Amino acid sequence: MGTATGIIKALNSGIKHLAVKRFTLRYPEQKLKLVGDGYQFDPSTGVGIAGYKGRHMLFHDHCTGCQLCSIACEGVAEAIAMVKVQEDWKQNKKAIMPQIDYGKCVFCGLCVDACPFYALYMTNDYELSSFTKEGLIYTPAQLQVKPNIAQDVELKFDNPRGATHG
Amino acid sequence: MSSTSLPPGLQIEKVDERIMTLNVGPQHPGSGHMRIIVKIDGDYIVSADPDPGYVHRGEEKMAEYRNYILNIPHLERPVIHDSCNVLYPYCLGAEELLGLEVPERAKYLRVIASELNRCVYIQYWLAIYGIFLGHSTMFMWPAGDRELLIDMLEKMTGARVTHSYFVPGGIRNDVPANFEDMLLKRVNYFEKRIKEYAAVFAGKLSREDAIRLGTTGSTLRASGVNFDLRVKEPYDAYGELDVNVPVLKEGDSYARSKIPWLDMLESCNIIRQAVQKMPKSGSVRVKLKPNPKGGNDEVYKRVESGRGSLGCYIVSRNTPEPYRLKLSVGSFRNLICLPYLLKGEKLGNMPAVYWSLNYWPVEADR
Ligand code: SF4
Ligand code: SF4
Repeated sequence: MGTATGIIKALNSGIKHLAVKRFTLRYPEQKLKLVGDGYQFDPSTGVGIAGYKGRHMLFHDHCTGCQLCSIACEGVAEAIAMVKVQEDWKQNKKAIMPQIDYGKCVFCGLCVDACPFYALYMTNDYELSSFTKEGLIYTPAQLQVKPNIAQDVELKFDNPRGATHG
Repeated sequence: MSSTSLPPGLQIEKVDERIMTLNVGPQHPGSGHMRIIVKIDGDYIVSADPDPGYVHRGEEKMAEYRNYILNIPHLERPVIHDSCNVLYPYCLGAEELLGLEVPERAKYLRVIASELNRCVYIQYWLAIYGIFLGHSTMFMWPAGDRELLIDMLEKMTGARVTHSYFVPGGIRNDVPANFEDMLLKRVNYFEKRIKEYAAVFAGKLSREDAIRLGTTGSTLRASGVNFDLRVKEPYDAYGELDVNVPVLKEGDSYARSKIPWLDMLESCNIIRQAVQKMPKSGSVRVKLKPNPKGGNDEVYKRVESGRGSLGCYIVSRNTPEPYRLKLSVGSFRNLICLPYLLKGEKLGNMPAVYWSLNYWPVEADR
């Protein structure tokens, strides 16, 4: 390609792109839609269910305090600590449940794979920033809360002027 | 002072009036910390000495204390943008040690994931290359289009960059509903976009030198050597797919940066083929015993990553953890030709030559 044709081609593409729609996602006003309700794992088949690996969710009525999640995390990030809870569940005699430090967690989901009692799942919540280090440590009570997030923007390809968000 | 009185390892250098020593780095000359000690005479480089090792993380040692599953998250850290490919040889090796047979569907999904990852990595690499050359369009286009595939990988694996998706014995989870549809839409659009890059686009490595210095990946293929493990030693489902590896003869920086771009177009082809041939349903992971033990054995597996061949050597001694794990990475092998390429070049060409080698400091240091 000669220099002149190269320059003309480049200019041409520049002019064409003046008309192309902006691809940028306007986060945090817009949030991208994610599939499913977060990463889950089915111990009976040994296969996970596709979903975003975000903040965990703990089901207190299933957790037996078996510590398998914390053992799994020991080899990864040491983010899980077992803490005492003031609750009475007949399946959880020791009354201990995982507490997760999101300053350490790498969101690998191996703790979810390790839990044999369908007690630990992940959710679509990824906005976990906090002003203090302590704010990143989620107690079992905090992990019980289902996140409420509005994620609804999807990628669109039908516009002839280029893909857009929403 | 005579050189004998110096502590071991130190030498006194003779100073030449005309030669000046410049330290490029170690504060992030592009991505990752690494230093190039360049000696210049005026504007010309007399010698260049790459000095990696600032981001050594001891991945190989860490692997000796974790079992085959828990090794997954940390072994993909060397190149987070290419995390599926980095994990690939490890999984292939561990499967052989543990005697696991990967289901057919998982093989294809692995190919798709690793090709998507290759594109994501190359886009990032191109974007950084754009910064190196002071070209803002070359930064923004790849960084924007990369998002399409990252979004796809996020839907598939649940994470944007560090997927932890492959495990010995398959993949962690099956893909969501109407995955093929979403994937093809994105890949077709992506292909259209990267073809437009052609409107936007020093140091020469001969074919003989490229072979002699043991380079790999895009550096090798830009010098006219047709060597790609996806074709030469096909792994998983690559044997059933038709892969046309791009090769260029020029051996200069432009060729070295064009090869990854051609690679992305080829990846789009591979993904489309894989979607077509993939079994539509079926299991994706074999069930593992807790804490599986490898036998008294050793394996070496290698795959083609975004930066060339990436090997993983695992020694097992009847324990749940690998006895020794060694990663042999493309970045480090490509770095070796930097002194040869830079000699006699102008200092201003250094960024173009350095980053064209497809070198990733963190991967080289492991
Ligand atoms: S996701 Fe990974 S790092 Fe986070 S708590 Fe679970 S095992 Fe630990
Ligand atoms: S969350 Fe699951 S693995 Fe963790 S202690 Fe409870 S039951 Fe055991």
